[in-house]
Order: sequence, then structure tokens, then C-alpha cells
Amino acid sequence: MIETDTMQLHKLVEEALPELDTMIGWAAGEDPLHTRPIFIRSAESIPRLIWSPFCAQNLTGYLVKPPALQPADKNKQIGICVKGCDSRSLVALIQEKFVTRDRLRIFGIPCRGTVDWRKVMRQVRLSYVKSARVEDNRLIVDDAGGSHNFDLEDVLTRKCLRCIHPNPVVYDVMVGEPTVSRIKPEDLYRDVDALEKRPLEERLAFWQAELDRCMRCYACRNACPLCVCQERCIAETRDPKWLTQRMGIPEKFLFHFIHAMHLAGRCTECGECERVCPMEIPVTLMKEKLNKIMEEMLGYVAGLDPTAIPPLLTFNPGETGV
Amino acid sequence: MAGKIFIALDRLTLVLDKLSEKIDLWIPASLQTNNRELTGFVRRHAGMVAILDRQSTLPPKKILLPQVETLLRFEHRKDPQDPLKVSVSLDDKSEVRPALVFGAHPCDVRAFLTLDRVFTNGPYVDPYYLERRRNTLFATLVCLQEDAACFCSSVGSGPADTEGSDFRIIPVDGGYVVEALTQKAQSLLDSLGDAPTQHQEAQAMQVVEEVAKRRVGDLDLTGSAEAFRKRFEQNDYWQEMAAQCLSCGVCTHVCPTCYCFTITDEIENLRGERLRSWDSCMFYQYSLEASGHNPRPSKLNRYRNRVGHKFSYIPKKYDGLIGCSGCGRCIRSCPVSIDIRQIVGRLKENACESK
Repeated sequence: MIETDTMQLHKLVEEALPELDTMIGWAAGEDPLHTRPIFIRSAESIPRLIWSPFCAQNLTGYLVKPPALQPADKNKQIGICVKGCDSRSLVALIQEKFVTRDRLRIFGIPCRGTVDWRKVMRQVRLSYVKSARVEDNRLIVDDAGGSHNFDLEDVLTRKCLRCIHPNPVVYDVMVGEPTVSRIKPEDLYRDVDALEKRPLEERLAFWQAELDRCMRCYACRNACPLCVCQERCIAETRDPKWLTQRMGIPEKFLFHFIHAMHLAGRCTECGECERVCPMEIPVTLMKEKLNKIMEEMLGYVAGLDPTAIPPLLTFNPGETGV
Repeated sequence: MAGKIFIALDRLTLVLDKLSEKIDLWIPASLQTNNRELTGFVRRHAGMVAILDRQSTLPPKKILLPQVETLLRFEHRKDPQDPLKVSVSLDDKSEVRPALVFGAHPCDVRAFLTLDRVFTNGPYVDPYYLERRRNTLFATLVCLQEDAACFCSSVGSGPADTEGSDFRIIPVDGGYVVEALTQKAQSLLDSLGDAPTQHQEAQAMQVVEEVAKRRVGDLDLTGSAEAFRKRFEQNDYWQEMAAQCLSCGVCTHVCPTCYCFTITDEIENLRGERLRSWDSCMFYQYSLEASGHNPRPSKLNRYRNRVGHKFSYIPKKYDGLIGCSGCGRCIRSCPVSIDIRQIVGRLKENACESK
């Protein structure tokens, strides 16, 4: 099915390419468990495009992060592949006018979940991975040590295990068949709920231990399609200077919570910040907590309606939620 | 005995406990509860388990070059009689204690050759680094854990490389044969364990011999430094190479040879500290000048710098030494699967074509 989807994607991109400046998609990475973003400008490169449960990256950041892709020819569009979660980032970027809807050709792909290679490695330390594929609810990987079989639930990315929007919410063409959510909507915040049930001291200890590992590499910030302050980020500006170069928990805490606060009601929980963290800090959890508050207090869910205005981007004197 | 002991697997913790009594001991250990995959070097406390069967997620670089260190403390003092008169007192005391890094991989230890050249070879010698370097011993594993991202043999090293090591740790049946390679190392081994049996010694020799034969990685770097210089101004090439880069600092933060740093004064009222901390050439602020001009304004310039620094500038400046130890961490950790081997490999492809 995945192979058919990739073939369909090739066909659709081939048809669209004359009207596209660049097509952003995924290609094979350094091993079969990884993919890498690819920027296609000519038909010869189309066969390199793939769609698989290893296409983890959210590509929408390339539309806004410098040097943001701009069509040289104003009549051409940027083509982009999006999973359900990625499409919600696009909605947020459209809302905030970082991208213009009609400059985009959106190839929406229903997604049954992406594989977290670190979870795979925690179960079996793979070496020289030769092939990897998902069959029904199993992940099958062949490496130098032989063939390994995993329960998909055990190796899916955390965000995929709590995904309620597996189908793109905005698209021009759909690749493959729509799929269904893995969870019930009321379970959306189960990870936050589980953490919230723990006593305050435990939660403090949890975040201190997690944030202690942070190296301030800012991968979480740079991978986030909605972290748009760029070189003006308070974590690094020298003037004004907000953060010291010390590696204490207060510095890391401040950076991560400002990141989270700036995304309140904007974050679409695409999970990029957590995926890219080399120290495996569950940083998306902070944003989930804020989104939960936004939903409870203001009844707002980010990244669904391109015409809606996120609550913190507007001022309503008659606000009743808070 | 001639500087060799055998440590049985079930005695390893005990031996490390004994070693910790003699010296500050750093070992590769888990950084997260219940996760043996996320490891780094930590100062060992009693009972802590060393994870020696894999390369650590983070290299031991910070032991000699901490991510942040205080170079000096300063305090302005006002004269109570004449508040306009201010004096400054400085305090640059630092304490360095003898340390042993146990269980580093050859790539990690070899990486310090680059740092040594930069910080200790003059004309400017860095006293902070030098002091730690002189006081730190390295016990290096003979590496049996190469994976698809490793390429140590391509940079002039290899899985049995002992360059920069004071001990060699050789995995054998049921434990490790630890061999002292330097004078300094010898005395630490005393009373830690029995000499290996003849059989263990023979097996250790065989392991070393076999591992030394292995070629890890097939990147050919001959001519790469020159190819880089020819490519330097080909923005199209670098645009393509860096297109997917997120400009995050993962690669430089997990790199055992990246040593670029920044110096900041962190001031609170009348006192403060001068800190040296890791910088990253992936960051916009890295080469931002006080005037506001940035000679590396975009990610293509910055990514080019990382490649050039390791594979062209360092080799040119330091007699052909490659500024990369082939550990593969930047490849494994890159969020967008950038593979530095491909980028360096492609430098030579039709390098003359467009210039």
C-alpha cells in the first residue's frame, strides 16, 4: 500500500511539476530507518521521492525559516508533502500570514504513524540496517544481525500514538486513502494527564532531571515551523541579553518555557521539537499542557481552520474564558 | 607484572569503585533512567554502572573542554570615601584534579589531538585546557561496536587506535584485559586485579590484531582539502548541500572535535564572571560582528565553515591532521539526515567543472 502511495505521489508530482518552482518531499536517508528532506526542481529527481512510515520530518518549516523558499517565477507554486500533523502547521502558518495559501500546492498524505528510530534502538541495538518496512501492525527490520520484528505500537513516535488528525486538514491533492485515528479524542492529553496526577515535587524533579540534559543546541527551536523569531530569539540575543551562557537548569528552564509560552494556542503538536532533541527530552509535553489550557479555557484548537484567529494573536475585550 | 590486568565482568563495578578512590573517574553511563541508549560521560559515584558495549551518545570532550567554564571572577569595589573611585579585583583560581576517563572509544580519544593542536601548540597556549589535559588519563576501548555511521579509518584512525591513550581496554571472554601504555598509567593498575592468564593474554592479542585489520568507513580524503578550496565560492554547491540544514547545533554539540567557543561576561550588579562556553558555527550569532555585519549570514556559509574547518583549514594548518575523528555522531543525530561523508565525498566530483 505504501509502495502504491509512493507511485501515486510520483505521478501526481510529475503532472504538477511544470507549475511548481520547487517540490519539497522526503527521500531516503542514511539508512532505511531515516529519511531526509529533498527539494525537487527537475523531473529526474522525482523517483527519489518517497512516502513511508519513516518520513518523520515536518517539512513546512522550510517555507518560513531563512532562506525561506520563494518561487523565482511569481506564477509558480511551491509543492509540499504533508502528513496530517504537518498540514496543521501549514494552517497555522497561513493564519499568521507567513505563507500564502494559493502559492502552495499541498500534497496531503494520510498517515498511520511514523516510526521513532530511537525507540527501535532501545529494543534492539541495530547495526548496518539493510531494510525496514511496516506490515500491518508490525515493523520488520533487517540488519547485520538478522531480521527483527517489532510491535508497531512500541516503536511509533509518541505524537503518533496520540494523533487525532491522521488525515491532512488542508490539501490540494490527497495521496492514498484516508485513515482513522488510533485513539479516542478524549485520550488526546493522556500523557499530560498522567504527569499532572503526580505530586508537585515529583513533577519538579521530573522536569529538572529532563532539562538537566539540555545542551542548548536549539534543535527544538530550529525544527519548529512556528518558532519564527529566528536570530532574534531571546535565548541568544546579546542586546538585550536575557539569558547567561551558564548551563544551569534556570537558563534551560527559561528558554524552554519561553519557547512553550510563545507557542501557546499556536503549537499544532507536530512533535518536531521532541523528535529532533538529541537528549530525548519530552519537550512537546510542555506545549501540550498549554494547548490543553487553551482548549479548556478558550475552546480553541490550533491548526484546524485557516480563517480562525488564534486567541493570543488577538484582543477581545469581552473575553469570557479567562 | 608488565602492566596488564584482567577484570572479570562481575568485578568491573568493584574495580571502578577502587579506582574512584584514587582519582576522579569518568565513565560512559546512562543519562536517562531506563534508557541505555542515551549515554554520556559522567563523574562516577559508587555503584554507578559503566556502559561499555556501545559508543556513547555524547563524547568525553567536555572533560577537557567543559561546555561552560569560569575563566575568572571579578568584582568592582567602590571606595566608601570617594564613590567615583572604583577598583576591580580579579580571581582566576581554578582547581584541576587528576582524572581518568575509563571506556572512551578510539575516535573520542583521537579527537583530542585536534583540540591539543589548537589549545596547546602555540603560539597561544590555553592554560585552562592544558592543565586539565596534563592531569587526565584515558583508558580506551578496543572498539568492537562500529556501525554504519562510523568512518574512523577514513580519517587516519581505526578501531584499535591507541593514539592519545594511557590504557587499552581489550574485551575478552568474561571480561577485559586492561593494558597500561604509558608510564603514568602503570602505577594506577597496581592492586586493581590479577595479571591475565596466558590464555586471556593470547586472546587479547588476537582481538587487537583482528580489530586493527578492520577498515571502518570508505571515505577517501586524498585531495579533499584542495577540492574544498576550489569549491569555496561555489554558492550553488553549498546551497544544495545545506538546503535541508536546520541551522541547529546538534552536530557541533555532539562532535568530539568541534572546539569553537564564545566568551561572555555575566554580570550581576558589581560582580560577575567571565565565562567561556561552546559556540556553534551553525548559529547566526557565531560570527556576528559588533557592527551588525555578519560575514556568514546564511546557513550555506555556516555549513560550509563546518566542512571546511574540519577537512581543509585544520589539515592545512596542522600538517595534514584531519579535524574529524570519524565517530559518526553528527550523522546519527542530525534531525534531517545530513551525512557529512557524502558532502565531503562530493567535493571532488567534477570540482574543476564550474571554476
